Amino acid sequence: MSGAADTVDVVIVGSGAGGAPLAARLAKAGLSVVVLEAGRAFRPDDHVPDELAADIYWMEERLSGGTDATAFGANNSGMGVGGSTLHWGAFCPRPDPRDLRLRSESGQGEDWPIAHDELIAYVDAVERVIGVSGPELYPWDQARRYELPPVARNAPADAMARGCAALGIAATDAPAALVSRDRVQPHWGERRACINCGTCHQGCRTGAKATTDTSWLPLAVAHGAEVRSECRVVDIERDGSGRVTGVVYVRHGERRRQACRALFLCAGGVETPRLLLNLDLANSSGQVGRNFMAHVATQVWGRFDADMRMNRGYPSSLITEDLMRAAGVDHAGGYLIQSLGVMPVTLATNLARGAGLWGQALVDLLDDYNRLGGIGINGECLPSDDNRLTLADETDAFGLRKARIDFSYGPNERAIDGHARRTMTAIWEAAGARDIFAVDRSAHTIGTCRMGSDGDRAVVDADGRSFDIDNLFICDNSVFPSALAANPALTIMALSLRTADRFLATRG
Amino acid sequence: MVTRLFFLHALGASAREWDRVIEELEDVGECVALDLPGFGGSADADLDVAGLVDWLAGQVAARQPQNWAVVGHSMGGKVATLAAARARDGDPAFAGLAAVVLLAASPPAPEPMAEERRAEMIGWFDDGHISADEAATFVDANTATPLPEPLRSQATGDVERSGRLAWKGWLERGSREDWQRAAGTLSVPALIVAGSEDGDLGEQAQRRLNLPHYRDARVEVVAGAAHLLPYEQPAAVAALIREHVLPAFGRALPAPFAALLASDRVSRRTRAVIMERHAAPPPGNVLSPEQRAVLAALVETVLPGGADPVDLAGRIDAMLTSGIGDGWRSADLPADAEAWTSGLDTLDRLAGGFADQTSADRDQLLHAVNDASRSADGAMFDAGQMRLWFAEARAEIARQWMALPATMARIGYDGFAVGGDGPRKQGYRRTAADTIEDWQTLETPS
Ligand SMILES: Cc1cc2nc3c(=O)[nH]c(=O)nc-3n(C[C@H](O)[C@H](O)[C@H](O)COP(=O)(O)OP(=O)(O)OC[C@H]3O[C@@H](n4cnc5c(N)ncnc54)[C@H](O)[C@@H]3O)c2cc1C
Ligand code: SF4
Repeated sequence: MSGAADTVDVVIVGSGAGGAPLAARLAKAGLSVVVLEAGRAFRPDDHVPDELAADIYWMEERLSGGTDATAFGANNSGMGVGGSTLHWGAFCPRPDPRDLRLRSESGQGEDWPIAHDELIAYVDAVERVIGVSGPELYPWDQARRYELPPVARNAPADAMARGCAALGIAATDAPAALVSRDRVQPHWGERRACINCGTCHQGCRTGAKATTDTSWLPLAVAHGAEVRSECRVVDIERDGSGRVTGVVYVRHGERRRQACRALFLCAGGVETPRLLLNLDLANSSGQVGRNFMAHVATQVWGRFDADMRMNRGYPSSLITEDLMRAAGVDHAGGYLIQSLGVMPVTLATNLARGAGLWGQALVDLLDDYNRLGGIGINGECLPSDDNRLTLADETDAFGLRKARIDFSYGPNERAIDGHARRTMTAIWEAAGARDIFAVDRSAHTIGTCRMGSDGDRAVVDADGRSFDIDNLFICDNSVFPSALAANPALTIMALSLRTADRFLATRG
Repeated sequence: MVTRLFFLHALGASAREWDRVIEELEDVGECVALDLPGFGGSADADLDVAGLVDWLAGQVAARQPQNWAVVGHSMGGKVATLAAARARDGDPAFAGLAAVVLLAASPPAPEPMAEERRAEMIGWFDDGHISADEAATFVDANTATPLPEPLRSQATGDVERSGRLAWKGWLERGSREDWQRAAGTLSVPALIVAGSEDGDLGEQAQRRLNLPHYRDARVEVVAGAAHLLPYEQPAAVAALIREHVLPAFGRALPAPFAALLASDRVSRRTRAVIMERHAAPPPGNVLSPEQRAVLAALVETVLPGGADPVDLAGRIDAMLTSGIGDGWRSADLPADAEAWTSGLDTLDRLAGGFADQTSADRDQLLHAVNDASRSADGAMFDAGQMRLWFAEARAEIARQWMALPATMARIGYDGFAVGGDGPRKQGYRRTAADTIEDWQTLETPS
């Protein structure tokens, strides 16, 4: 094994939404920071607008069980310098204050150990760094302002606006973490205005979309951080007292060591708990891997008479938050609706799997690709004891056991799914869609190392610090105590800045 | 659809060597026989192999074929293979290459040639030009039996008028350049022809030096010919070319799609992956012939009138063979290769011969599988596993089919043409329903 003898202040594992902002903030504060990222580094131009050829996903096998087994691979995890922000949809609603206090409100789910006001201050800081386009007035938060004007709506967005207007549902341009005008990103260069190419999920080739490799990481590097790509962390070293002393990683087949004073695991909602379970670390609570959550992400589709060509344009350019707390419902929490632009291969896979279609019906729908339009939700998912990440007996190429994720909807998810189907079907009927049908889907990998104030019920505290090991921190999608209806990445980045500040404030 | 065959002659020859081959191929496509720089009376030029490939790029691009083949003889064969490599890598000048034919072709590796012979041929220019005797020696040494007149005079005449720079450049440098890495592995269908009486570039050399670069290739040996195949056996050569090129042209993407793919709205990398996917898949070896037949029948039932069942079954076998899946699998199913073989075997058993059933019966069975209501004693998978596997199978079938360029063309999808390699990517200017831009010429099925 070869190793850097130097001990750095901080090693960060993973360069996505959770790892990158704190890398920048800690480096700026003068700490020595090394980010270890399993994937490759890309330039925007390297991306390829082709669904099978795009090489920015975590494609190593995961096992998925339960009655609502969730899809992995291109559906929800990234690999590369930038993590899942390389392929995220950049749809960035803010977390709703009610969602952070879901248990107090409904008796179900969990409350977050962080106040909404405090979190929003960090959200605001994130938005200022990455650049968000959005409407002039946000109907559900009158005081909110976005830096950049909204991106062009596409055909499904126009249809959704029509349908919502007919039903009296408020809808507006979605907040999107992309630049609708050319904008200089400090320490990186000019991010070119969004060109409506529609290939956000395959990687943005203009730099319009906010990704950590064109924002936080260059900022971190400008302040002395080092980002090492193609470095897979496989082990965590500890001293006699159990404190972390460094990590072992594999680069091009060679094992190396990096010593550190503190370690931040930001490897995402699957890899972070998988590593901890494989190494049997930080789990005195028995909570590592528990409470896996995936947003209810049901879609409703239909045919239009018009030529929609939904692959054009930023994919999710319209939003409504009206269903965040619908009247007279039998479920806790709520959901957001967004318009969709889905590429053909993803659509075909979802229709075959999630809508259970085959035969002439499937061929006819796919032939009609240019006339289809869809809308989808991002809905609350409650933590549940039944939904958990465990280790399979099979091992990966590094000898670590693969993750097995069991996920089944509970009554609340079913209720949200049912409500959303009815609502979206009504919107789509009002918009003039025909042959309307729904597709089952869940998205995002949330929970598995939740934060809380009680070390028996949570893996880390509100600062992201492990209850068991005081120089081990977690900051990524796995620390969420509850799912929140808002799509996660903006909140993860905000938490990342907060985790950095708390670390700086509390370190001896 | 503009369909063309480009012919590249051998050292010391000219476009004329193809006359009698082309006569037989006029209905296959427009035949363009080129004089390589320095031959056939064209201006002499000192080009290395890269220079020759660039020259060919100019010739092809000027004629803008949407669907084309390259036929390379001897020296021209090395240029043909390297053009195919550039097509594979997304070079817009070579977009639309559908087939390669190599005749007694010089390989990407240094060409095997006895050093004294090389020195002798280089020496022919010591007195400023190649003499008639030297030309006759050259032509006769490269034919199985002397060519009849007036062909022999034509051939020797072409040797005599070879340019010094071109002749010596090839012998001293071009033939020795090693392009094996750049050539790599090519998926474009290739026909590799050797003369039964050829020496250094005969069948053995073709198998050893050219065949490994082509994934989808066939070697043919023409009797009664040495090295100058187009002169010696034009009818046989033409028949082989026809047989190889016609089906390849038949698989061409529609003209508007091909033109869009070649345009500056598409990046090299995108063009490369799309063309690669359009080619036949690499051979798979996970599925048995019986399992492949069941899979083909399944494809036909899942996507009736859509996918080519045999092609798609081959693609899935190739995917299983590569071991690269979609990043996850059901926890109740074994690893992909085993899941597919067990799933297909179980399906066959449930049906009592799935491939032999009518499509209605197959469809009915799949409904029962999807309801987890069918199981068979002794089958690999139980009803629950079959339900899960069928969900996986139909998603994979749909995924593979939808990703094919031919399917993109079929549904009128142009989302790959949203930005080339320039600093400003084009994207879409119009996104509203029922609006379209000038460049969007792919038709949507009605
Ligand atoms: C298709 C898609 C669309 C999405 N759209 C949106 C959206 O519109 N809005 C939104 O808010 N969210 C969206 N998301 C989700 C969002 O991208 C993620 O929630 C977020 O990026 C997760 O951040 P993270 O830090 O937890 O993990 P990631 O961003 O995934 O980062 C984890 C990183 O850790 C690396 N890593 C893992 N293990 C190791 C190891 N052992 N050693 C070294 N490195 C390792 C990984 O390679 C990866 O780069 C989308 C996700 C997908 C898949
Ligand atoms: S739609 Fe805009 S943000 Fe998305 S990939 Fe294209 S240019 Fe980038």
